[in-house]
Amino acid sequence: MSAGPLDVYRIPEEPYYLALADEVSLFEAAYAARLPVMLKGPTGCGKTRFVQHMAWRLRRPLITVACNEEMSASDFLGRYLLEDGSTRWQDGPLTIAARFGAICYLDEVVEARQDTLVVIHPLTDDRRLLSLPARSEALHAHPEFHLVVSHNPGYQSALKDLKPSTKQRFGAIEFDYPPRAREVEILTHETGLAPDLAERLVSVAEAARRLKGHGLDEGISTRMLVHAGSLIHQGVSAEAACHMALVQPLTDDPDLVSALKASVRACL
Amino acid sequence: MTRIAGEDSKREFSAGASSFVRALWGLDVRVQALPVRAGEAAPRRPRFVASNLWLPAAPLTGVPGRFSDYLFAACAHISAHLRFGAPRFSIQSLKPVQIAIISLLEDARVERLAMAQYPGLARLWAPYYEARADGAKTSLSLMARLARALHDDTYTDGDAWVTKGRQLFLEARSEWHEPDFCRRIGNALGNDLGQMRVQFNAKDYIVQPAYRDDNIGLWHFEQEQTEDGTALESEGVRRVEVEAPAPKPRERGEPEISSKRDDSAGERASALRPKPAAATETVTQYPEWDYVIRSERPAFCSVKERPAPAGDTAHLATLLAHYAPARKRLQRSALRLADRRPKQIRRLLAGDRLDLPAAVATVVARANATLPDPRVYRRIRFQLEPPALLLLLDLSASLNAVAAGSNTTRLELARTASALFATSLSGVASDLAIHGFSSNGRHELGYVRFKDFDQPYDEHAQARLAGMHASLSTRLGGALRHAGQALAARPAARKLLLVVTDGEPSDIDVHDPKYLLFDAKQATLGNRRQGVNSFCVGLDVTAEESVKRIFGAGHYSLLERLESLPQRLAQMYVRLSA
Repeated sequence: MSAGPLDVYRIPEEPYYLALADEVSLFEAAYAARLPVMLKGPTGCGKTRFVQHMAWRLRRPLITVACNEEMSASDFLGRYLLEDGSTRWQDGPLTIAARFGAICYLDEVVEARQDTLVVIHPLTDDRRLLSLPARSEALHAHPEFHLVVSHNPGYQSALKDLKPSTKQRFGAIEFDYPPRAREVEILTHETGLAPDLAERLVSVAEAARRLKGHGLDEGISTRMLVHAGSLIHQGVSAEAACHMALVQPLTDDPDLVSALKASVRACL
Repeated sequence: MTRIAGEDSKREFSAGASSFVRALWGLDVRVQALPVRAGEAAPRRPRFVASNLWLPAAPLTGVPGRFSDYLFAACAHISAHLRFGAPRFSIQSLKPVQIAIISLLEDARVERLAMAQYPGLARLWAPYYEARADGAKTSLSLMARLARALHDDTYTDGDAWVTKGRQLFLEARSEWHEPDFCRRIGNALGNDLGQMRVQFNAKDYIVQPAYRDDNIGLWHFEQEQTEDGTALESEGVRRVEVEAPAPKPRERGEPEISSKRDDSAGERASALRPKPAAATETVTQYPEWDYVIRSERPAFCSVKERPAPAGDTAHLATLLAHYAPARKRLQRSALRLADRRPKQIRRLLAGDRLDLPAAVATVVARANATLPDPRVYRRIRFQLEPPALLLLLDLSASLNAVAAGSNTTRLELARTASALFATSLSGVASDLAIHGFSSNGRHELGYVRFKDFDQPYDEHAQARLAGMHASLSTRLGGALRHAGQALAARPAARKLLLVVTDGEPSDIDVHDPKYLLFDAKQATLGNRRQGVNSFCVGLDVTAEESVKRIFGAGHYSLLERLESLPQRLAQMYVRLSA
């Protein structure tokens, strides 16, 4: 195992992740087959935590790239920098991962421009090749290199979607909010809340999830519940914590805010 | 502008209320204001029939706390009925007092079940339990105390009847999932009250606590077929006849006040939309400009909004099939328009930031003593947001004429154009509305909304487009003002009013052709002051003079070939939006 460039990306402690189905074994199988993996699901349901957990489990460093629309190919691949009148090449995150054998995680991959994403294509089929035109280098990916992307389908899907040629290179695992009992378990583990109170918070989330498509773009996520739980842990009252962490970030519509606040009161 | 009273206040609340019920139970309800009949006190209790809710539009006298809290408490109670209620009770030979008590027990039953799932509901309801154990021994007071005793286990009441009621109710705990026990216990308690010689007057009875509904939705009335509400009174429940609505709409689960709606089904999410279709004809008055006196005649023209009738969508689909290639093209352009992601422009001589690869190349070139490229900057270009768009169709009788050089009428073309427009842009431009108008004198400017802003282009909208018909005259000014108002209220930065008309404005009560022309011009200028830009697509090439007058040079386009209207209209949008 190569030391140096990847050390900062290693995950020493086990990140908490509660498996909901067979996603762990599916990911392990995909990793063994070097099949790139796409994690689909609503925001805040545990996709990123899952990747961290899997990286730890597989003992691979994890390089995360939060994608945004200003990203260019060189933000992935690397670029020349100027140093003392001469140029020096610096690998981008994808190149580092491919060169030294890390898991590269492209978070919210649809946010990157689709023509930019084409750079990952040769890396994701059996060639496992990363071409660095600026350096005239064709980099054969390290045997341990693995590519994982996440995306949240449904949201603005008419405008933002992956090209079919990109999508079809991946195996996909679908995520959703956990079932009630599991979500309570996650909440009590992450925030130390009493199970009874955690259950009520989950009721609030379930109520809001029923409004998805009826005024809300997304329901209350597990992540938001953890936020509410940690506020309560800090001594904030349950109702105020729900307003701050669950209701107000979710919508600005005054009617929905009042309906959600009433739901919070009904649940607590 | 005068609006029919009650419309707005009613709408404000209904969105929150229906969202709340959906959040709790996943049920869709329609919330409306309780109608108040002239000369009567405000209605006293909320009401529900099937999934229709009627809530007071103003705070009830003597009800504590904030009005919005009260409304949510009422919604929570009614939604408990909807969630846990069974088919309606039949009255059979029950006496009024028994009906009242059975209803009270049923209220307590569904609330208990609801609280088991949402314990916080108890806090929502608690402030309205005001009955006290030392109250008078009237039927009203005893029943209010029983309601409190059934709701609140910590409440103590020494009265034997209240105690017995609570005991029977709690003993039946294992039967709470079904309402049958309510009838059994209710009969017994009603008989007891009779033996205690406590008077019960159905006319004075009012459900307590105040957030509860009037129980109309719980009972099946045998005489529902009758037209007047007195039949219910003879059943002895309460003063139903003064608390509209009348029984006939109730029997269909359809409120009387909205019986004129054309699309009562599938309205689930409509309460969340900012502007649901008006329940009845809405009248808005606008001034008109008189060019002779060079000033406005205030409130001179009445725009009457009517629900659009539904038509046969199958025919529309066939018409639309002819335009499949155009539709594909348009969808692509519309998607491009809607893609508001910033675009990078690289290798510029001047720009916001350094284009790093270009800068490096320049330095390398300099080091190699070759000619450096000075274009080392880049810039981000932000795309303009597509405009809010209102397509306004002139639906006067002249539209029924067969279009020259074609075998379809102008109406068919206008219909197809609107449909093509809506299908191409739906899912991309949500800020799209299609309205139409035709007039019959200044008191009768009919205005219909086929598709409104934020409404999906669904089967209802399609049916409304299919039902489009043309008649009467073109009083353009008032329609422009009304459409301008609707557009001005949109949050979009740019607002575009696209008018399709086939000639000069005219109306039966106007004999000076210049009058309506100048009025329409004034309306266009007024819209522009509100940030609404107008563009006209003229269907009559001979009317260029008047169209130019009204909309101004460069703000109109005349169609030589009318069959091209569908494609041209959508192209126009793409061109104007870019």
